[in-house]
Amino acid sequence: MEVLPELATGDAKDLRRCINDLISLLALPAVWSGGDPSQVLKTLLDALVRILRLDLASVRLTVAVGEAPVEIVRIAERHGPTPPAHEICEALNQCLINGSRKWPPPLRGVMGAGDVSILAMPLGLQGELGVIVVAAERADFPLQTEALLLSVAANQGSIGLQEARLLSHQKQVSSSLDDRVVQRTAELARANEELKKELAERARIEVRLRQEEVELKLSEARKTAILESALDCILTIDHEGCITEFNPAAEHTFGYRREEVLGKPMANVIIPSSLREKHREGFAHYLATGEARVLGKRIETTAVRADGSEFPVELAISRIPLEGPPSFTGYLRDITERKRAERELQRSEAFLAEAQHLSRIGSFSWRVPTDEITWSDQLYRIFQIDRDAQLTFELIGTRIHPEDLSIFQEHIERSRRERSDVQIEFRLQLPDGAIKYVHVEAHARGGHEYIGAVQDVTERRSSEEALSKARSDLAHVARVTSLGVLTASVAHEINQPLSGIVTNASTCLRMLAADPPNVDGARETARRTIRDGNRASEVVTRLRALYAKKDPEIELMDLNEATREVIALSLSELQRNRVTLRQELADDLPLVTADRVQLQQVISNLLRNASEAMSAVDDRPRDLLIRTELNDRDRVNLSVSDVGIGFEAQTAAKVFEAFYTTKNEGMGIGLSVSRSIIERHHGRMWATPNDGPGVTFSFSIPTRSDLLGKTDTKVQ
Amino acid sequence: MGLRQERRAAERLLVAVIDDDESVRESLPDLLGEFGFAARAFSSAEEFLASDCIGQTRCLILDIAMPGMSGPDLQRVLKVRTPEIPIIFITASTDKAFRPQLIERGAVECLFKPFSDTSLLEALNSALHKN
Repeated sequence: MEVLPELATGDAKDLRRCINDLISLLALPAVWSGGDPSQVLKTLLDALVRILRLDLASVRLTVAVGEAPVEIVRIAERHGPTPPAHEICEALNQCLINGSRKWPPPLRGVMGAGDVSILAMPLGLQGELGVIVVAAERADFPLQTEALLLSVAANQGSIGLQEARLLSHQKQVSSSLDDRVVQRTAELARANEELKKELAERARIEVRLRQEEVELKLSEARKTAILESALDCILTIDHEGCITEFNPAAEHTFGYRREEVLGKPMANVIIPSSLREKHREGFAHYLATGEARVLGKRIETTAVRADGSEFPVELAISRIPLEGPPSFTGYLRDITERKRAERELQRSEAFLAEAQHLSRIGSFSWRVPTDEITWSDQLYRIFQIDRDAQLTFELIGTRIHPEDLSIFQEHIERSRRERSDVQIEFRLQLPDGAIKYVHVEAHARGGHEYIGAVQDVTERRSSEEALSKARSDLAHVARVTSLGVLTASVAHEINQPLSGIVTNASTCLRMLAADPPNVDGARETARRTIRDGNRASEVVTRLRALYAKKDPEIELMDLNEATREVIALSLSELQRNRVTLRQELADDLPLVTADRVQLQQVISNLLRNASEAMSAVDDRPRDLLIRTELNDRDRVNLSVSDVGIGFEAQTAAKVFEAFYTTKNEGMGIGLSVSRSIIERHHGRMWATPNDGPGVTFSFSIPTRSDLLGKTDTKVQ
Repeated sequence: MGLRQERRAAERLLVAVIDDDESVRESLPDLLGEFGFAARAFSSAEEFLASDCIGQTRCLILDIAMPGMSGPDLQRVLKVRTPEIPIIFITASTDKAFRPQLIERGAVECLFKPFSDTSLLEALNSALHKN
């Protein structure tokens, strides 16, 4: 070795120094213990710079160890500017690459103006770890010892680096292990947390499920209760149309038990065979398209019971709003009763319409505040107003006879004001010119509405007129009959004055034929002849008035005067029948509105009846009392009392019936006609048995009546 | 006229007229006067019965229908008397059925008003001849 000669030639001081340096280098691993690779390299380079008095020391690693840099450069402190580290590294790079051809390569200009000597030493046995490069400007660099020291340092560095690397690796492994433990621990903790959460969630879900279960049970209970207690049939079906629920009402209505029908196609159970195909089509159509004719509506259809009988039902089907295949609820109600009631109602309405048609009565309602008028069909027919027309009083007014329109409107206005019941009769003048008489009766209901009826009384009116005519004819028959009965009386009336005339005339002639003629006597008898002639003439006039058939003449008349005239005419007959007539005619009797001749006919009839009733009476005077009096200030009474055979109380009403008679002769129509005459005068007529023997016939008529004003009313 | 009749009255036969009709009571006595009779008129049977001339009455002209006592009633009353007074009934009634009944009961005649002076004279003659 070259060292030895040098040692041999160097002084001890150098050797010592060398040994010290060697020791320093060998001590380095102790310093490095536990240090990281960069710490190892840095302390190594620092030691080399100091020991070898280097200007530059650098290490370059081929493989990165731990977190140490790949290249470390140490530059000794010196005078003058120090080039930047990266330039030095660049220069070293060049030098090392070129060094392959010329080693040791010159490193010029790197550190300044002078040349530097460079020494490189591989790290690791094969230099696999890297290389240490040192440089100094000294000319003696490198000495042999210095190269030795560098070599030792490189070995130490390799070892330290290896150890550090190992350590670093161990550390890394340990750290990674730690990290993994930490990570794993964290993961575990997290997992734990998750688990806890999940458990909590599960508990919550559990609680919720339990709650839901309770609610479901409740809801189920409610549903069951509803199903159980519902009066309507409730059944549910699934998407295949099979029954899934069938409540007790359905059981009752259809006659199936729930167990029998669950799971069976509804169509086969409750739908009549005639409708089944249609139902299937509709159901299939819904499932395919979602379009349904029956969903969410009430429809009326026919269902069939277990016993095969069919009946009308009202059906509402709704889809159950749940996920999954559609299912449905059907609500069914047996409407047999309702249908029957509807038919009854229709029938009764038809009856009513028919009745209204037959009776010519129409009904109406009138809501006064809104003038809303509703008519029955018949009323439209009576008024000949189109069924679709909007009913107004104006329109109705066009059908009312112009002369009656004001009366009609007056009644409407009064009804508006007073809301009192209405009863009027007026005429219609229809578009075809026909005249109808209608009678209206309406009652106020609840203050806001009138309900009433209108009757077409045209026929009644004409039959009333016909009846009136018949009465008139009958009265005439009665008069004529009476005339027949009265022939004797009439003849008597006439014959009395005639007798006077004939006698006086005979006397007159005889007086004139005497010698000398008795002129004064003849004049006197001639005067009496004229008087009796006038008297006969008056009788004839009165009779003609009484027995002529003519329309009534309503006038204001004095009942007493009319009575006296009748008495004058009847007196002789009464005398002949030995009837004693007593008159009690009230003094201050007001005038009455009446047909004089008709009233006289009634009085005459009463007198004759009274006289005839007493024809068999021989044991007492045949007293007849005729009296008039004012009754209640506005009615006048006339009564005729006899003491005849009389009648039982229960016969009193019967005597006024036509053809009722107790007499052998006569038609028995006298009293009946008399009463109809009195009633036509708005009066009444009655008969009462007397306390003693006989009967009193009476009539009363109003002193003032509207008979005078009514020119169109015929009074017979 | 009054004087002449009064003077002759004592010689003449008395005929009584009973009728409720005034015109008869006025006219008939004059005609009877012309026939040469004395005549008195009464308005009712009761009035005649109450008078003082029943005894002198040689003939009675009597109305059938009167208030109160009728002609036939009076006939029944007078029937018991002697000598019987002949009665000529007069009536304004047209019912001829009365006549045979009345004649059967003793009446001389029944005249229906109005009757002629000659038929009355004939009836009077029959009545006086009967006596």
